[in-house]
Amino acid sequence: MKNKIKVYRAMHDLSQEALANEVGVTRQTILAIENGKYDPSLILAARIARFFKVRIDDVFLLETIDE
Amino acid sequence: MKRNYFYLCVAAVAFFEVAIFWLSVEIADPLPSVIAIIIGILGIYLAKGNIDEVIEDERTQKITEITALRTLQITWIGLFLFALWIIIEALGEGIRRFNRPLGIFGFRLLLLLCGIIVLYVILSLYYNKKYGA
Repeated sequence: MKNKIKVYRAMHDLSQEALANEVGVTRQTILAIENGKYDPSLILAARIARFFKVRIDDVFLLETIDE
Repeated sequence: MKRNYFYLCVAAVAFFEVAIFWLSVEIADPLPSVIAIIIGILGIYLAKGNIDEVIEDERTQKITEITALRTLQITWIGLFLFALWIIIEALGEGIRRFNRPLGIFGFRLLLLLCGIIVLYVILSLYYNKKYGA
């Protein structure tokens, strides 16, 4: 799954740490999501999207169904 | 409580446990060690609840789940092979020359492994029910 968290963070001038604090996860989790190493749960995806005031599929893009 | 302060508390508890362990060895009584470990676990649990920062989230929980499952699988298979090895060694020279202490140890280990499977099935049923099966 691809995502645009880095883009939205840049638009909001937000560090990984700040976003992590806003959505209640560790900075390492935001880093792992940005690097495509970890796919967030639906709840976390919704929290991130809500924080940026966009829809989930504006931030996350499902390219292939491989699981 | 800050995250680093929590880690300092954990280190302090670890030193405390080691000290009590040596005390137990000196007085040849395991009870202080057992009590200290229970108190230590409770202390860490309470301290963890007072941390202001996030130190655990869904990713760390997933890592813990997968790590625990793999550890259980590897340990179970390793101990099962070890138990079989012991039983074959004990029975190796025939039933009449059965190495009783070694054989009993092997069968007890197998029994323990069966117990782990039973516990796994019970917990699996419980969590299946809890999560909607």
